Amino acid sequence: MITAEATTVTSPRRWSRMVRQNEFGLLMLLVFVTIVAALTLPGFRTSSNISEIFTDSSLVIVVAVGEAVVIMARQIDLSVGAILGLSAYLVGSAVGHIGFAGPVVGVLLALLLGAALGLFNGLLIVGVRMPAIIATLATLSIFSGLQDVVTHGSQLYAYQLPAWLAHMENSNLLGIGVFIWIAAACVLVVSALVRFTRWGRDVYALGSNPEAAQYLGISATRRTYQAFAVCGALAGLGGLMYASRYGNVDATAGSGFELTVIAAAVIGGVSLFGGSGSPLGAALGAILLFELESALALLKISIFAQQTLEGAAIVIAVAVYSLLSKRLRRPAASRHRMGLRPAAPTEGGGGSHSHAESTSLVSE
Amino acid sequence: MRPLVSRLSGRLSRWEFGLVGLLAVVVVVGQANAGTLLTTYNLQTIALNGSVLACLALAVAPVIIAGDIDISIASILALCGVFMARIWVGGINIWLSAVAAIALGAMCGLINGFFVVVLDLPALAVTLGTMGAFTGVAFLILGGTAVTGFPNGLVELGSGSVPGTQVPISSAVVLGVLVALTYLVHFTSFGRSLFAVGGGRRAALFSGVAVTRTRLLAFMLAGVLSALAAVLYLGNYQTAEATVANDQLLPAITAVILGGVSAYGGTGTIPGVAIAIVLLAMLQNALGLSGLSGQAQTIAVGALLIIAIGGGTLIRGVRARGGPRAEGRGRLFIRSLLPPGKR
Repeated sequence: MITAEATTVTSPRRWSRMVRQNEFGLLMLLVFVTIVAALTLPGFRTSSNISEIFTDSSLVIVVAVGEAVVIMARQIDLSVGAILGLSAYLVGSAVGHIGFAGPVVGVLLALLLGAALGLFNGLLIVGVRMPAIIATLATLSIFSGLQDVVTHGSQLYAYQLPAWLAHMENSNLLGIGVFIWIAAACVLVVSALVRFTRWGRDVYALGSNPEAAQYLGISATRRTYQAFAVCGALAGLGGLMYASRYGNVDATAGSGFELTVIAAAVIGGVSLFGGSGSPLGAALGAILLFELESALALLKISIFAQQTLEGAAIVIAVAVYSLLSKRLRRPAASRHRMGLRPAAPTEGGGGSHSHAESTSLVSE
Repeated sequence: MRPLVSRLSGRLSRWEFGLVGLLAVVVVVGQANAGTLLTTYNLQTIALNGSVLACLALAVAPVIIAGDIDISIASILALCGVFMARIWVGGINIWLSAVAAIALGAMCGLINGFFVVVLDLPALAVTLGTMGAFTGVAFLILGGTAVTGFPNGLVELGSGSVPGTQVPISSAVVLGVLVALTYLVHFTSFGRSLFAVGGGRRAALFSGVAVTRTRLLAFMLAGVLSALAAVLYLGNYQTAEATVANDQLLPAITAVILGGVSAYGGTGTIPGVAIAIVLLAMLQNALGLSGLSGQAQTIAVGALLIIAIGGGTLIRGVRARGGPRAEGRGRLFIRSLLPPGKR
């Protein structure tokens, strides 16, 4: 369906379609903020500041990409911060004892641990039929409790980490930090998954209209499990990065991280009503969040005012996206002018490009 | 009074009786294990520590019944507490400050309600944003410092006992709130509107329920009760800081859900929430007395939530044979989080 559409779309149409995507507007905003900040703040355009922004946001991006998948499927995962913390401590201490192939085993361990915890979330939601917000609220308590138990009130210190992990944050590959490579790889892989595979279309379809998706024969059970496994695995990987970034891991590592992640996804245009948004959007949202934070810090605005402004940014972002999606849901006349194929207006849901795609998938 | 009581008891379902059973198990096992669970002193401790949590849980319950969610309640508590302390330091009478704080709480609730209800935005995203914003403003007011040394009257309210009895004054206040809220939710037209809106917003709208007003009032009520929790907090712990009570958010929502309020809105009782609060407070205290520290308590609370909600849903699902709830779908946020295909 997507390939058929792509061949019939002429290039100006494709261009206008691209412009109308949320990611494009977000990218423009990001570029705008970057230019303004770089021009007005000398401290902003130093290479150390820029690499700081990218390193910080890379960690959030890895987790936010997974969270985006879950939210797109009309679920939510509040336990990612606890998964991250648990993985940071457990995998961080485990890899210290592995002599050979450390990085490979470490990454695999982190992914597996996270996926297992994510599957447990899926089990509660699908098997025990708990609403996602309640189930992951419960596992947030349980996982962070487990983190307390395994840490025994002690800490994992930077010197206990193997060299490869301790230096991962500072090391470069072709002049670009390893963290950025990891984040980019996650965004690419997950974006490809949701855009070009049947799995991704299923996730969008489930998120925009679960009933219709089920009538199409999409297995909600399996897709829900898989979405939570992906989200958990990426949170686990984030844990490994957290250990590398901060060195010291204690019982509170990762607490509150879920809110940053959800904020990044929301600012990136992932609708909490499900069915719209993209991993790339969530990644751009994370970068924007940290750019703003850095600019505010350089403006000598107190860290307390930053929190206020970030909170306001979330509310404004949601309001703007809601306004945009309402405009997109208007009758077709105005959309012709924009060179868009008229699509049947649908009840609820976002109305971004991806949403329209999944709608056509449902109705054809 | 008779019809009122029988009307209420008619609404209490097996869920509340199940909770009482669980509570009995916790009390018996806890008492057998530690022996000091049921001493007057320990019960007072439980009551004093639980009153802030109880106030927060009662604050968020009507919002969840109406099908929304408010995760900014703990931040409202912090903001109102800090505001109250600041204007008291500025020379205003402590009780006047308390009233001003409660007005500020209503204002915060109104802000939440404006974004969620009037602008029609997802409640979780909005209150996530205002959570950060309110905490940030609280920090700005005090600049990271703390206020201590409140006058005796407030300390007496927060940690003293009712004259001639062993009952803490704050517990009496919470009990009063509980009775008032039970009346408001279960015996007034506002309460009926809450359930109607939570059960199906569109249906409620078409039946002539003032949906917007009801949801707005629910958010404002949450703000007011969170501010009241702030007054009790200041009285009990005698410090005002921007970070206070941050850890009370999850237990408060847990208590509401455990109390039988559906996460999708539309069902639940206030007495059920009250029993759940007592259950949680007792459980945490009993675990503490048995030598299990905070970490094990956290796990126990999470496990209790899974057992109660998961078990309840499974039993109901088996009984209905057609999935957990086959009622009309709304666009409510929490309901939209139902597992796809299970609706």
